[in-house]
Amino acid sequence: MATKKMTRRKEKEETFFDYSLLFIVLFLLGFGLIMIYSASSYTAFQENGDAGHYMKKQLIAALIGLGLMGIVSRIPYHFFERFYVIGYVVSALLIPVVKTPLGVASHGARRWIRIPGLGMNLQPAEVAKLGMILFLAVMVCKFGKAIRTWKGIILFMAFSLPIALEIYLITNNMSSAIIIVGIAAVMVFVASPDYGKFILVGALGALGVALVVFLAVNSEAGSGFRMERIAAWLDPESYAQGKGFQTLQALYAIGSGGVWGKGLGQSMQKLSFLPEAQNDMIFSIICEELGLFGGICVILLFIMLLWRMMVIANNAPDLFGGMLVVGVMGHIAIQAVLNIAVVTNSIPNTGISLPFISYGGSSVMFLLIEIGLVMSVAKGIRLKDL
Amino acid sequence: MNEQRQNTTEKKVKKFTIKMQKKLVVFFMIILLAFAGLSIVMICLVNRNNAEYQKQILSQQKYDSMVIPYRRGDIVDAKGIVLATSEKVYNLIIDAKVMNTVNTKNEKPYLEPTLDALGRYFNLNMVEIRTHVTTNTTAPYYVAERQLTYDQISDFKAAQLEDTNIKGVWFEEEYKRRYPNGSMAADAIGFTTSDGQGSYGLEEYYNDILNGTNGREYGYLNEDLNLERTVKPAVDGYTIHSTIDSNMQMIAEKYIRKFMEEHKDMVREGNGAENVGCIVMDVNTGEVKAMASAPGFDLNEPREYDALLGCKMVEQVTNANGYYEIKKNGLVINQEVLKSMNSEQKLLNLNNLWKNFCITNTYEPGSVAKPFTVAAALEKGTVTPGTTFECNGSLEIGGYKIRCHNGNEGTMTLESAVAKSCNVSMMKIAQTLGNQNFCEYQSIFNFGLKTNVDLAGEARTNTLIYSPDSMGPTDLATNSFGQNFNITMIQGIAGFCSLINGGYYYEPHLVNKITNANGATVKNIEPRVLKQTVSEQTSEYIRQYCTAVVQYGTGKTARPAGYMIGGKTGTAETIDENTHKRSPNEYVVSFMGFAPADDPQIAVYVVVDRANAPRQDDAKFATRIVRGVLTEILPYMQIFMTEELTEKEMKELEELNLEITSQYKNPVAEPDTTTPIYTPDANGGTPQWLSFPIDPNTGYRVDPATGFRYDAQAGFLVEGDMSSIGIEEPVNNRLE
Repeated sequence: MATKKMTRRKEKEETFFDYSLLFIVLFLLGFGLIMIYSASSYTAFQENGDAGHYMKKQLIAALIGLGLMGIVSRIPYHFFERFYVIGYVVSALLIPVVKTPLGVASHGARRWIRIPGLGMNLQPAEVAKLGMILFLAVMVCKFGKAIRTWKGIILFMAFSLPIALEIYLITNNMSSAIIIVGIAAVMVFVASPDYGKFILVGALGALGVALVVFLAVNSEAGSGFRMERIAAWLDPESYAQGKGFQTLQALYAIGSGGVWGKGLGQSMQKLSFLPEAQNDMIFSIICEELGLFGGICVILLFIMLLWRMMVIANNAPDLFGGMLVVGVMGHIAIQAVLNIAVVTNSIPNTGISLPFISYGGSSVMFLLIEIGLVMSVAKGIRLKDL
Repeated sequence: MNEQRQNTTEKKVKKFTIKMQKKLVVFFMIILLAFAGLSIVMICLVNRNNAEYQKQILSQQKYDSMVIPYRRGDIVDAKGIVLATSEKVYNLIIDAKVMNTVNTKNEKPYLEPTLDALGRYFNLNMVEIRTHVTTNTTAPYYVAERQLTYDQISDFKAAQLEDTNIKGVWFEEEYKRRYPNGSMAADAIGFTTSDGQGSYGLEEYYNDILNGTNGREYGYLNEDLNLERTVKPAVDGYTIHSTIDSNMQMIAEKYIRKFMEEHKDMVREGNGAENVGCIVMDVNTGEVKAMASAPGFDLNEPREYDALLGCKMVEQVTNANGYYEIKKNGLVINQEVLKSMNSEQKLLNLNNLWKNFCITNTYEPGSVAKPFTVAAALEKGTVTPGTTFECNGSLEIGGYKIRCHNGNEGTMTLESAVAKSCNVSMMKIAQTLGNQNFCEYQSIFNFGLKTNVDLAGEARTNTLIYSPDSMGPTDLATNSFGQNFNITMIQGIAGFCSLINGGYYYEPHLVNKITNANGATVKNIEPRVLKQTVSEQTSEYIRQYCTAVVQYGTGKTARPAGYMIGGKTGTAETIDENTHKRSPNEYVVSFMGFAPADDPQIAVYVVVDRANAPRQDDAKFATRIVRGVLTEILPYMQIFMTEELTEKEMKELEELNLEITSQYKNPVAEPDTTTPIYTPDANGGTPQWLSFPIDPNTGYRVDPATGFRYDAQAGFLVEGDMSSIGIEEPVNNRLE
């Protein structure tokens, strides 16, 4: 496959720029803005008197993000290599800041930091994801062949744990913690040529999940917030007024949309029924308004995006570039899959946003910076390879 | 060239190896699988639950089907003046849930600004409101104040537009009934309860026509399971156009009020009379132009207990037959009595007050029935205009000696029998008719039957008259001059109009047109002739006799300056409801008049029920009211004066400031009031009253033996044309 690509690329212009990637990202962003407006206009008007409140904020974040992406993509990615320790340390230090007066609480959780002077809020978990990708990409290079051993894998994974624990314990944000660990897992999986170890770990993990579910089902109610979530996942209608409410409303939205949907802007669930309609649950509004067709189109867009990244990684001039792209790809893939899985009640409810589409300034800005990194790697492909 | 470049690449650099590339493809495949799995989950979800979830979603929506209130139709008078109308009012509703909305900063941005504005623009108990809003944070509906006018809420609404943080307050619309003229024509118009249902009068009778249909705003699911919002507008009620003329109504009420004020607390504590009623009717259509009664009440505040002050208190008792009965208990309601009354008693008394005296109360009509007796006899041909009767003071019938109050009057013609209100003549006339004919004519004159006037609460009188079989000779005799049977005022005047308008009995009515909310006519109610009671010839005789009543008979004091009118006085004894015997000193006096005498246009009937006066048996109580009413109504109706005015009358009219008097600048001499008018009997004898000396102070002839005062010219008893039959004399058991 890689050789085929290379032959095709040989016929192209000298400077390579992955326009497919850019346009997929731009399309996702534009589509996301439209869907945020559609999903949030009703509640935004109720709360702020301005139907475009959320859309405008997201647009500003996206424009800043695009600017940063442009800058990052023009900088050769090796420039960033030297910041890997700083990135890790900054991530680790930023997270506790939410507990200081600079921290901002919203939606019942304290996960943001106010940036003085800019009037914007930053989610340190997003910084940590970027920092983790950079740090681990460098680590893969440093580990060399050591990554093939059990010891290497465990040590590699161990780098992600302090940050993940910080996020989980300090900001009570399990989904971001899972994503951090997930990024590390994807990177180590790609970097290590072995399969057997991963199949074993995967099997053990599946067993562990099954055990937790079994415990949750057999334990009496009241055994904690997360156990109840699992119970609500298995039978959302029994928890229709509590933990299962959001999930059930999302299912109603997807189910009622049918194959072709109710039409853009015609969602009824966004009229105060579905909490966080413009945020974690935006995929269900897409399905309600644009139907299965719209939902699967979005999935196809993500597949195309990931496919482009895979191509770039596979043709990356060096290991560092390749692993950077793998990290970003892992990040986006995990987040998209988990988000859709939550919305369709395939996994228990946890707050994961849909990349590029869900409302969230920090998320979209850092995702765009990550895309900038990928573009920078893509730019290096031919100059290095040929 | 490519290979060249490849060769120049540094070998030290760690490559993204083929194995890694393969593993990345594996990872991509895993992601693809995950997406495929999720897509299948979604497809199953839609396949399995599409219809069910669509319904589920629609059922979650709040289809707040909202009632849009209709507007109850107006009641307007003959000239379009509004008598009753409905105004939109606003209930102040507080939605604590909205007010307590929490924003993203965990603040309640609406709570304080809204409470602040409420306190500023409304006169509310803010402590109570604040407590409600802060304790019941999810209560969406709390009525803080009812029935505010638009002016009262407009300031707040303006503030609400300026400050978007004022939220959680809205105004529920409804209509409130308002009567711009307050107590005017209260009995005839009636009022509405708070739920928009009419009580009493036109409001009750035309309730269904005045009321419209509520509209509704609602959502429903159409066959494609789409939500349709539909507004079904309210249908406003129809407006009814009354024949009542506010000007005439005010004139009638003015003179009734004057009487009530003059006689208030005169001999006993309380109102000037127990009841005073006045009906003004168009003789040729049966249209009621004014219908007034006292004591009245304010239609805007029908439950105001102060209106009861001065009335005699009634209470509910169980009578001998086990039926409930409303009886007076002898107390007069004053402030102290009112305080001691419980709410049930108050309501009972209010109900009594709200009754329309003109159609609901029955009483013995007395001498006003005499024209009816004469008319019946003329129709049946048992008497002719030339027939004369000897009156020697009394007639013995069925063992009772029934007296004529004027004493021995000598020979009476039909005219003088009516003019002087001779009982003996009437009894003789009734005897010529007999039970059968007399009762037949009572029913022709509609006595004992409802008139079907378009008002709620007309009394049934079918049990209050005699049938030919049940009628004894004394009953016939007393009925002939209006005792021992009961009528309502509306029966009296409707029958009387037919006697004088050529015999056409019109159904009395108060509404002649119904229009819809846009002003289009829905229905015209034309005058309805129900029957011909008497012939035109008989009617002419009755007009002549009734004119004589005013010219020289008992009704002289009813004649308004400048006009000739006809009419008949009545003074009826009442039956004491406790002893069930004739009450020695309680009377119902009345005058039934029409004008002009030669071409009747308007009829006025005034009844004064038990006046608050030393002697109640004075028909002048009624004639004066009629005189006052006619003095103002006739010029208003653009009926010109036909009679010369005396100086006194000129002065009186000038005081009234009536422009129409200006045509008479040269006053004539006062009419002769002393030359006796009488018809000598067959023997050439003179009536006894001619021998009485004239009292220089009052101008009356006074009987030195009894002290009774007689009119110096016509010789009738000043205290009224008592149809007295004495305390021990027969009483109709059917009457109270």
